[in-house]
Amino acid sequence: MLALIIKRILLAIPVLLVVASLTFVLVRIVPGGPFDADKNLPPEIIANLNAKYHLDKPVPEQYLLYLGRLAQGDLGVSYKYVNRTVNDILADAFPVSLQLGTISLTLAVLVGVPLGAIAAVCRGRKEDVIAMFLSTLGISVPGFVIGATLIFVFAIKLRVLPVGLWESPWHVVLPAVTLAFSPAAYLARLTRASVLEIVEKDWVRTARSKGLSQWNTVLKHILRNSLIPVVTVLGPLTAIVITGSFVVEYIYAIPGMGRFFITAVMNRDYDLILGTTLVFAVLLIIANTFVDLAYQFLDPRMRIED
Amino acid sequence: MEIVEKAPVPVAAPLDQSVMARIKRIPTAYLALWIIGAICVVALLSFMGCSLCQYSFDQTSSDFLAGPSTEHWMGTDELGRDLFSRIVYGARLSIAIGLTTAAVAFVIGTLYGALSGYLGGKVDTLMMRGVDIAYSLPDLLVMILIGVLLGRGTVGILIALGLVSWMGTARLVRAQFLQLKNEEFIEAARAQGQSGWNIVFKHLLPNALGPIIVALTFTVPSAILSESTLSFIGLGLSPPACSWGTLASDGWRSLRAHPHLIFFPSLFIFITVLSFNFLGDGLRDALDPRTRLGKKSH
Repeated sequence: MLALIIKRILLAIPVLLVVASLTFVLVRIVPGGPFDADKNLPPEIIANLNAKYHLDKPVPEQYLLYLGRLAQGDLGVSYKYVNRTVNDILADAFPVSLQLGTISLTLAVLVGVPLGAIAAVCRGRKEDVIAMFLSTLGISVPGFVIGATLIFVFAIKLRVLPVGLWESPWHVVLPAVTLAFSPAAYLARLTRASVLEIVEKDWVRTARSKGLSQWNTVLKHILRNSLIPVVTVLGPLTAIVITGSFVVEYIYAIPGMGRFFITAVMNRDYDLILGTTLVFAVLLIIANTFVDLAYQFLDPRMRIED
Repeated sequence: MEIVEKAPVPVAAPLDQSVMARIKRIPTAYLALWIIGAICVVALLSFMGCSLCQYSFDQTSSDFLAGPSTEHWMGTDELGRDLFSRIVYGARLSIAIGLTTAAVAFVIGTLYGALSGYLGGKVDTLMMRGVDIAYSLPDLLVMILIGVLLGRGTVGILIALGLVSWMGTARLVRAQFLQLKNEEFIEAARAQGQSGWNIVFKHLLPNALGPIIVALTFTVPSAILSESTLSFIGLGLSPPACSWGTLASDGWRSLRAHPHLIFFPSLFIFITVLSFNFLGDGLRDALDPRTRLGKKSH
């Protein structure tokens, strides 16, 4: 298992290098620089600013400079948030997004997995139809619609929950629920498919034929085995949550990674775009590594191939 | 949707009239088919320049920010433009984006997946490794980064959507081909001395078409969702372009005082996406030979 982790870390370095290089090329070949928006700046000052941030040098040289700094763990400086380094901004933003993401994912698992299991066990019956209708609803509603609806009902009409910013635990409720919607629906559909597959296995029939109650069969034999594929979707789930965080952090004005990423793209804040993209890539690599480990842990058959 | 791949439809599920008959027996899918048909007809008519509404989409009036009334079914925006007309006009862009993306996913995804699955071996491993890495990145992140390069016009959005949407199809086609490749009818075709081209397009592809169509049915709504989400956060289309996403984005700013401006565009996005998802689910069930027998496989 340790060997696998080390292998993964070694493999992650070239992947991150590719991500950094692609993003670098992507943002630098676009016309327009970070100081274009400040229309009233005299050209001399823009030239000075460009010189200060090495933006006047040829692109290949900028690239080497960037990689050099990256190797030392320095993600550069923000051009818009004056005197703040990207490391500094991300150190503030990352914990916020991590909290929001973790709470939402937990919420999604608590709702999605039971919903999918109930649907599968009651296949074809009323419960199945309702659960599947709800989950199809969940993957069909755009995040901003859920957000707008929740804000309208709970913050504007009922005035029971605060909206915007990231201050008290109450501020977490609406964003977390909004962000949990789509992963919960995704998990419900996946759990249902997975349980349905397990139900047809021979050993489930054996369990039933030796007289185990329905409840016991479901909990001890079916659910436990069908959770394997559910645990292993942590990778795609992380991707869903990152995607969702762009919208949720935008709507609720939460100072997290997603919001900084969007404003950085709008402002052409090169180093901040690169920094956030790299952190997202690292997150995904960690999630996928965890999935590989979980696979080996949960399913002994997978260990032989190692 | 990754779920489609988790439970691939077993092979040998030809598309024929029985599929249509089976769709009719799934109420949600059948209703969804009608709703999609209606929306597509409206979008097409609007595209051909037919005036379906009393007002044109950019016609301003002194009736600012009015709520829904008999005169303006869905109210008006801050320039007094009729929201219903704007939604009908926006349908053509939203639907066109969804369908074009599915077409791109079909062409690129099928070619890539077919090549990879048919050739197999080292080429296959190499081709799929690339897809695996790109596929694990969040679509929206990739699209925003591509959008930086291509700008925020319709063409830029379409290219960005196309570039991220074909990978799911490619994986599916490859998996189908790997499975079908060793079937006896392919062996027979080979024994007859048929060319590789013939085997791929006349024998393998038609038999893999069912699952591909199911996957494409899920590509349309996810493209519509991506476009509207991008436009909503200000990184997609921007005015004067008019899609359901830009309309919802406009409405967001006046959520407190004029909720109808975000409600109606959102409702149309939601109904369309929901319909495509229900149709996709229905098609998958209809094409699954295991349910065709009316009971489980054993």
